[in-house]
Amino acid sequence: MKALLICPAIRPAVPQLSEDGPLALAPILGEGIVSHWIEHLALLGAREVRVIAADRASLVRAALGDGARWGVRLEVLAPTVEPTVAEATARYRTAGEAGWLPAPHDVVLMNHLPGCAGLPLFESYATWFAALLAWMPRALTPARVRMTEIRPGIWVGRHAHVSPQAELIAPCWIGDQVFVEPGAVVGPGAIIENRSVIEDEARVTQSWIGPDTFVGPMTALASSLAWGSSLTNWRTDSSLQVPDPFLMCSLAPPAAPAPEESARAGWAPAAAVISPLKWLGSWREPAHRTQNSNPPA
Amino acid sequence: MKIEIQGECLRISEIQELTAVNSAQFRQQVNAALPGSPATIEIDLAQTRFVDSSGLGALFAIYRATAQRDGMILRLLNPRPEVEQLLELTQMRQLFDIMPR
Repeated sequence: MKALLICPAIRPAVPQLSEDGPLALAPILGEGIVSHWIEHLALLGAREVRVIAADRASLVRAALGDGARWGVRLEVLAPTVEPTVAEATARYRTAGEAGWLPAPHDVVLMNHLPGCAGLPLFESYATWFAALLAWMPRALTPARVRMTEIRPGIWVGRHAHVSPQAELIAPCWIGDQVFVEPGAVVGPGAIIENRSVIEDEARVTQSWIGPDTFVGPMTALASSLAWGSSLTNWRTDSSLQVPDPFLMCSLAPPAAPAPEESARAGWAPAAAVISPLKWLGSWREPAHRTQNSNPPA
Repeated sequence: MKIEIQGECLRISEIQELTAVNSAQFRQQVNAALPGSPATIEIDLAQTRFVDSSGLGALFAIYRATAQRDGMILRLLNPRPEVEQLLELTQMRQLFDIMPR
């Protein structure tokens, strides 16, 4: 059986989610959206899935591989513009061809999670968070043997360290290799993605903490989406870059330079002479000096 | 930064940012202007676009100075949403009487 998956390209209402990668790979309970969909389609019987990714297709291709992980044959296509369902059907599916999953699973636009069509992901940060909370009880699919529901509504991942002095309040999700330190309160309505650290006495309620994120001691996150040093209040859509890493910061290793950047590194001595002149000619206010990514109220 | 005294109200406004660069000066100027008698202190943050931990430290120092004086009221006026977020993140929001925009 075959299926087409259309990755969402740009969604202006949720820019923070696609800052460092395409929306299709935005992490939801330990996996990218596209992974949840491929797993769902594979369970429905799909053996051939074509993923249409208009935004950063090379990253999607690298993350998914050949699909062997799900027992499917996978191909990632890279059109310049995100097609609608009708356009994708016309372009990539021969009319009357047999061997496709029945509608609506034959051609899917990933604007929601599997089985949650009434919960759009990308209309606002609030809808994103609501969809994640609704997805939490469904995320424990047969393929996810490493996640354990330790108490009703509390899921803890592989190699997660939760201090006995920390308090977990359902519903909450603690991802793989997460640390929750003494005195921390996580939940209700908290999702901590993989490899994040919640320090002593920190409080996380009704919030999503992205992967590789440090939440410092005594900090309080409520109604927030926090990823690295980016903090967004999903109720008000207000965003800021937290200026002090002891409050919140990214723990992710710096990205490896792109091949063209590596090639340029060989010219470093010449660049050292040239760059002050260039800097004088193009000085501008550093981007990190503004906390507000939204227009003034 | 502008400091005005209107009757028994000390009003500080036109603060572009509160950071390691200007927080010490901010504290000194506000402490020097603190009235001796019961009064109201209003810090208008409408124009404050950037606050870091030093700025939060300065606000906390003023909070402590006013808390030691009976009857003195401290208010933060019109903080921008991102400054309010920072106050919430650091749990300092509960210390202040905040009058929203």
